[in-house]
Amino acid sequence: MTKFKSLVGQYEETRAALLPVLHLAQRAFAQITPEVEEYIADLMQLPPVKVHEVFTFYTLYRKKPSGKHVIRLCKTLSCHLLGAESIREHLCKKIGLHNGSDTTEDGRFTLELVECMGACELAPMMQIDERYYGPLTPEKVDAIIDGLTDEPAADEVN
Amino acid sequence: MPTLTIDGQQVTVPEKTNVIEAAKTLGIEIPHYCYHPGLSVAGNCRMCMVEIEKAPKLAIGCFTPCTEGMVVFTNTEKVKQARKDVLEFLLSNHPLDCPVCDQAGECWLQIYYMQHGQYESRMMENKIKKSKKATSIGPHVNLDQERCVLCGRCVRFCDEITKTHELGIFGRGNREELDVFPGKQLDNRYSGNVVDICPVGALTDRDFRFQVRVWYLGVQDSVCPGCSRGCNIQIHYNRNRPHHGHGRRVARLKPRYNSHVNQFWMCDEGRYGYKFVDAGDRIISPMLRRGAELQMATWGETLAASAERIRAVNPSQIGVIAWPQLTNEELYLVRRLFVDGLGCKNVSFSVPSKKDGGGDDFLITADKNPNTRGAGEIGLPIADSTGDILQAASRGEFKLLHIFGHDLLSSGLDQPLVESALAATETVIFQGSNSHLTVDRADIVLPSATFAEKSGSFTNFEGRVQRIHEAVPPLGDALPDWQILNRMARALEMGWDYQGTEHIFKELAENVAAFSGLSYCVLGDQGELLGYKPTNEAHIPTEPVTTVII
Amino acid sequence: MPEKILTKHFDVPGFRELGVYRQHGGYAAVEKALGMEPAAIQDEIKRANLVGLGGAGFPAGVKWGFVPQNTPKPKYLVVNGDEGEPATFKDRYLLEYAPHQLIEGMIICSYVVGIHKAYVYVRGEYVKQINILRHAVEEAKAENLLGENILGSGFHLDVVVHQGAGAYICGEETGLIESLEGKKGWPRIKPPFFPAAIGLFQCPTVINNVETLSHVPHIVNNGAEWFASLGTEKNGGTRVFAVSGHVRKPGIYELPIGTPLREIIYEHAGGVRDDRPVKAVIPGGSSSPVLTADQLDTNMDFISLRNAGTMGGSGGVVVMDDTTCMVDICANISNFYAHESCGQCTPCREGTSWASKILNRILEGAGRMEDIDEAIRICRNMMGRTVCLLADGAAMPILSYLTKFRREFEYHVENSECDVKKSH
Repeated sequence: MTKFKSLVGQYEETRAALLPVLHLAQRAFAQITPEVEEYIADLMQLPPVKVHEVFTFYTLYRKKPSGKHVIRLCKTLSCHLLGAESIREHLCKKIGLHNGSDTTEDGRFTLELVECMGACELAPMMQIDERYYGPLTPEKVDAIIDGLTDEPAADEVN
Repeated sequence: MPTLTIDGQQVTVPEKTNVIEAAKTLGIEIPHYCYHPGLSVAGNCRMCMVEIEKAPKLAIGCFTPCTEGMVVFTNTEKVKQARKDVLEFLLSNHPLDCPVCDQAGECWLQIYYMQHGQYESRMMENKIKKSKKATSIGPHVNLDQERCVLCGRCVRFCDEITKTHELGIFGRGNREELDVFPGKQLDNRYSGNVVDICPVGALTDRDFRFQVRVWYLGVQDSVCPGCSRGCNIQIHYNRNRPHHGHGRRVARLKPRYNSHVNQFWMCDEGRYGYKFVDAGDRIISPMLRRGAELQMATWGETLAASAERIRAVNPSQIGVIAWPQLTNEELYLVRRLFVDGLGCKNVSFSVPSKKDGGGDDFLITADKNPNTRGAGEIGLPIADSTGDILQAASRGEFKLLHIFGHDLLSSGLDQPLVESALAATETVIFQGSNSHLTVDRADIVLPSATFAEKSGSFTNFEGRVQRIHEAVPPLGDALPDWQILNRMARALEMGWDYQGTEHIFKELAENVAAFSGLSYCVLGDQGELLGYKPTNEAHIPTEPVTTVII
Repeated sequence: MPEKILTKHFDVPGFRELGVYRQHGGYAAVEKALGMEPAAIQDEIKRANLVGLGGAGFPAGVKWGFVPQNTPKPKYLVVNGDEGEPATFKDRYLLEYAPHQLIEGMIICSYVVGIHKAYVYVRGEYVKQINILRHAVEEAKAENLLGENILGSGFHLDVVVHQGAGAYICGEETGLIESLEGKKGWPRIKPPFFPAAIGLFQCPTVINNVETLSHVPHIVNNGAEWFASLGTEKNGGTRVFAVSGHVRKPGIYELPIGTPLREIIYEHAGGVRDDRPVKAVIPGGSSSPVLTADQLDTNMDFISLRNAGTMGGSGGVVVMDDTTCMVDICANISNFYAHESCGQCTPCREGTSWASKILNRILEGAGRMEDIDEAIRICRNMMGRTVCLLADGAAMPILSYLTKFRREFEYHVENSECDVKKSH
């Protein structure tokens, strides 16, 4: 709540804090549900519909519950040129993700295929939680996955 | 006041007028979807593009204010091609639902694509599927997300007019979906308006769903009788397909533009409150009580019986409960017949109702009658109140009660009082359109026409006198109240000979000071306020009537 | 070695720290600027030919001048750190390695225009860089370089670093402003909503890219002539090119803005891997029309690139060798725009996904010969008819692939397979 208030306090209009507030909510509640949206709407004196519009518009707000680690694999342009597709296949095998699903059965990983992450010099690259990894090879993928702990990432936005 | 040229014609318009409105005044229609004069401007459909001299790109007419010396072209090849291309884009993901879509016949995709010759489809891809198809999102509205062209009119309506914010456009790109918040409904008191403003069949009326094709409908101007606001409406009646729509003649009501009263809108209670016109409980024949039973009779018989019973009593023994659902003309005749003609002094008109939705700060008023003001101006009530009349009746002071329309036995009046009043009165004459508990207690029943079946005028709570017109003929043997009163007066040998409602209104305007100067011609189709001062000039409506895409 | 401005000290350890930054001349420009007339500084920026390095290439000094001098409304500075254009990653480096350089530029710009509140909108994925920038802002505040009465001058400026949430359209100026106001990133209609007139919270707003503002302190320190002389006639100074794709050394390369493309690829980015021949190069981010191998001697300033039928854009260079299937790349790019279209207006919303569907079908071997001209027609129908330029940014590159590499598309249609992939 203190974080919420300090966020809102930075902006001339309360509504402007909505995007950062949704980020905060996603970390606090793990999944933004309609109940969470209504709670935020009430706090910020906004119609719930407007919160839902923002929630559904932006890619980084997850629409489904996700695993412990969210992997975003880039599929655009340079990453595509440098083999993102075969990295994807290897990654799926490594984390045990089967066709049709985007979260592993053990709930550890969610894989999202995303558009350009602004790291084309690291192509093919991925973001796990909040860190960037690249250039990827199958061996590097294995090492990264094996080296992941399940503690909160150090680079979380304050 | 800038002067500009559109398609070679000059026009001068007020400041801040946009090009679409300026073109309208010249009779030039610029096609559009997202623009609506009653809502803020969005500028996203891109259909209203026009060519402006010296501008490199086509400009959207809705967002372009007229400036002095501007030269606009609405029909060049470039403009026509742009419209065709926008239409093609809109149709590219639009489902081929026309055969099952209620909007067919009044759909602006259909209308524009026929106008612009966009007949051939070149779209070979699979059309996008969306979550909600034919799903109700509220008590009155159905949503089909695939038909939606994402113009956003409905969202702006809920944001700006009702300020209830039920609707939003969720998602991004062509996966966008119009919807309500998860788990919520579109249930404000004006939800039906979004169906009017939706240019396609995305938002449709649940009440009207699959009832009758719109090209079978006739249209008549009228005024809603639901409350004292007097929203201007159109009655859409089924002309050619009596076996559709459950045999209802009146198929639906739509709001009609009036800048002084309701702008473009009407409330749901009024919109869906027309069923009584064709309901099974309509009284379609005059009736006389013979013994314990009410039996069908002819007009001759019932009017003769009424006249006989009226003549048989002293005027001080007559109680009249008139009805603020009657038109100005009819209320005037009530006064002329009972007060002036018979000398009766016990005439009231209002009856408290048991419950109603109350008013709000937009269109709905607490008074659920269209002509309370009219009744007052015409000099009613004479008695103190309906309650007093019933008190007197239950004391046996009245031999005859003439009740117009009210179901006293379901009203907010003290029920034992009503019972005893009805029991104590020798003759109860009921004159109204729909049967109910009070009708069953009457001795003489005179069937009258509903607002949709007669012409006349109402005076709204602000004193605006507005005309209604007959859309469908009275059901069965029913007659408009003014005709019943006319005949009754003749049966009472009062020498009346009214030829029509205009005739009555003319006399009304001469005899009631508030109505002085008014005439049907002056009332036009937007009405006029009481206290009108006629001038020698030809009467021009105070504001141009906007023809809008509704 | 050509002179570097922005990235000069990138290999100095701790350059992102205020102390180290100051040791290398940091914030001297602020001190100097606060003693100058705002109009004089703006004049320097204009004469330096500093142009918008986010993509538009519009003269920055002129843009600052669009904000009305006398207005009762507060003015805002918004820094565009959304960097969503595929192939672009320069601002990520500038934020991570030289946050104070940006802050310095922000202070000077705000001082010139009379702004007291600035927002830096950084794309949501750049979590590390956001943290670094926020830390730098705190350091600056602690040293009286931000906040009230900066360095005793009486000028005050507050900075908020705002995290985005994943939408390319929020790199569009008015889309960014809408997003900053807490709404969907739907761009506004221009006119009338030019940010300089009606911007953030309906107030006059200057909106500049991270790299553009980062140059400002150096122009103040070293003068307009110096900066202008590094570039070309109309575009001054250097720019940080982001090079990726089939080069040996992908990364950022800060070079004079008029540097020829060939030099960037072969003298700085290590040439093409395995010494393969170049087939195509994207010069300025995915929205720029593609260049073919015979166009490598084009200079990379905005004017030269426009004359070559493409654009300077974001300075994102993607080199593609002869193993590249152009149908594949074209479809990949079209999918990006279809995914990122905000959906507000009809031509872009429908056109981007329609084109994308057609191109994917051709790629998968289910194309018909009419599809190529259909895709061209759809792209042309989108252009010039939309609220913002995303549609044009989608249409122009797709058109360039379809025209310059038409033969490859035709092969895919006729043979339902790729001739390039077959032979490599």
